[in-house]
Amino acid sequence: MTQSIDTTRARLVAGGTHLALAAGAVFMLLPFWLMLRTSFTAPDQVFAGNILALSDFSLENYRRVFAEVPLLRYYLNGIFVVTAIFIGQVIVCVPAAYALSRLRFSGREVGLWLVLAAMMVPYHATAIPIYVLLSRFGMINTHGALILPFIGSAFSVFLLRQFFLSIPQSVFESARLDGASSLRTLMHIVFPMARPAIVTFGILSFVSHWNDYFWPSFVLRNDFAATVPFGIVKFLDQELGADYGPQMAAATLTVLPLLVGFLIAQRQLIAGIAMTSGQVD
Amino acid sequence: MTVSPAAVLTPIPAAPTGMGPRIAPYLLVGPLMLLLFVFAILPCLLTLLLAFFDVDILAGTIRFVGFENFTRAAARGEVLNSLRVTFTYILLTVPPSMILGLLIALAINSLRRGRAIWQAVYFLPVAATLVAMSIVWRWMFVGRRGIVDQTLGQMTGLVDWLNSPVLSLPAVAIVGNWQQIGFVVVLYLAALASVPRHQIDAARVDGAGAWHRFWHVTWPAIGPTTVFVGIITSVNALRVFDTVSTMTGGGPSRSSQTLAHLMWERGIYFFDIGGGSVVTLVLLALAIAATALQRIMTARLEKAGTR
Repeated sequence: MTQSIDTTRARLVAGGTHLALAAGAVFMLLPFWLMLRTSFTAPDQVFAGNILALSDFSLENYRRVFAEVPLLRYYLNGIFVVTAIFIGQVIVCVPAAYALSRLRFSGREVGLWLVLAAMMVPYHATAIPIYVLLSRFGMINTHGALILPFIGSAFSVFLLRQFFLSIPQSVFESARLDGASSLRTLMHIVFPMARPAIVTFGILSFVSHWNDYFWPSFVLRNDFAATVPFGIVKFLDQELGADYGPQMAAATLTVLPLLVGFLIAQRQLIAGIAMTSGQVD
Repeated sequence: MTVSPAAVLTPIPAAPTGMGPRIAPYLLVGPLMLLLFVFAILPCLLTLLLAFFDVDILAGTIRFVGFENFTRAAARGEVLNSLRVTFTYILLTVPPSMILGLLIALAINSLRRGRAIWQAVYFLPVAATLVAMSIVWRWMFVGRRGIVDQTLGQMTGLVDWLNSPVLSLPAVAIVGNWQQIGFVVVLYLAALASVPRHQIDAARVDGAGAWHRFWHVTWPAIGPTTVFVGIITSVNALRVFDTVSTMTGGGPSRSSQTLAHLMWERGIYFFDIGGGSVVTLVLLALAIAATALQRIMTARLEKAGTR
C-alpha cells in the first residue's frame, strides 16, 4: 500500500518537474518561434493579427534577402575562415602539445609558462593592439585577419597536453625504440591517438568562430571578407531599417546552419562544453 | 661474427633521420611559441605603450603624448561610466543565471526520463548565433508594436525598453541571461553527475530530507563548480558586445555602454587608438584579476574538498 503511494508521489513530483521545465522552455524557445513566424509572414502582415500565430505562409521575405544580400559570399567566407582556423590549430597545436607533454628539451618550462600566460589574456581584451599589428602588415579587411590570431590557441594546447599526459609514456617510448623518427611518431601515433580531443575542440572552435561578431567588428571595415554574422548585421543596418520580415529571414538564415549542426552533433557539443567550460581561445 | 653482450643490452639509439631528435622539439613548439608571442604577449606590452602615444593609423604617424590619453578619458568620464554599466550588467546576469541554472540543472538531474531533451532545449540559445538572436530580441523589444510592449508592457507599464535610459541595460541583461543559462546548466549537470551517490543515499538512510541532502551533501560537492561558473560568467560579462552593439548601440546616452563596446567605439569607430588603449588597460586588468582569482579559489576549494 505505502509502496503505491510512494510511486504515485514520485510520479507527481516528476510530472511537476516536467511542467516547470516546460514553462521555462517557453521562454528559451519563444525568440526562435517569433523569428520563424515573422520570417514566413508576408511583409504587410507582420503587425496584423495575432503576433504569435502564423496565418499566411509566405516566402517573400526570403526572396528579398536572397535578392539583396550577397549571402552566398558570406557563407563561403565563413566556411573558409572556420576551416582554415581549424586546420591551422591542428597543425600548430597538436605537435606543440605533444612536445610540451612528452619530449624533454631545455626551454620546455619556458614554453609551458608562455602557454599558461597566454591563457590568462582573453583576445577580447587585446583587440586594439592586435588591430594595430594587423594593420601594420596591411591585413585589415582580409581573411587572414580573421584567421591568424586564432591559430596559436593556448587553450587547445592545454587541453591536448592534459590528454597526452593521460596516455602512458610507454606508448611513445616503444615507437621510439622501434626506430620511428619524431615525424613518424607524430603522424602515426600522436595524431591518431589525439583524435577524440581534436574532434572536441574542433566542434567548439567551429561554433565559436562561425558565430563570432566581435572580432570581425574590429578588423573588417567592408564586407569583402565578411563572415555571416558580420555581413548580415552590416546589411541590416544599412538597408533594412524597420523591415522586420526580411530581418527575421536574414536572422533565420544566419542561425540555421548551426541549429542543424547542433541537432546532429548535440551530444559532442554539450560534452565538449562540459569538458572545457566553453573556453576555446 | 659474435655480438658482445654489452651491445645487446644497450638500448637502440633513436634512428638518425632528417629531423634530428635534438632539434625536433623546437620545430614542434616553434610555430606555437611565435604565434602566442605575437598575438598574446606582444599585444599586452603594446597596450602599455600605445596608451602613452597618439597613433594615426592612416597617416602612419606616432607621437608620444605622456598621460594625455588618460586625462582626456577621465575628462570624458566614459570609462567610469562603462565600468559602472559593466558591473551593473554583472549583477544583472551572474546571480540570476547561476541560480536559475542550478535550479534547472537540479530539476533535470532529478528526472529519469527526458533529460537529454530538456538539456538540448535549454542549451539551444548557447549554440545559436548570438548576434542574429540579438536582432530577434531587438524586434521583440521594439517600442509599442513588439511582443514585450504588447504583453509585459500592458501589464506593467514598462514600455520601449531599448530607448529608455533605465531599461536598456536590463533588456540587454535579459538576453544575456537567456543566452547563458543553458551553459550554466551544462556545467552544473556535469558537476551533479560527479556527486558521490553513496553519500546522498547514506544521508537518505539517516533520514535527511531533500533540503538537508542538498545543503549538506550536494552543495559542498559542487562548490568548485559554483566558484568557477561565477567567475567565468563574470569574465563573459566583460566581453559583452554583440547584444549591446545590435540592440542599443550602447545608448541611449551611454546607459548601456559596456567596457567592450566602449573599447570598440573609441579605438575602431572613432579611430582613437590611444583612447582605446586606455580602455583596453582597464579590461585587461579586470580579466587577469578574474582568472587569477579563479585559480586561487579553485585551488583552495579543491584542497578543502579533499581534506
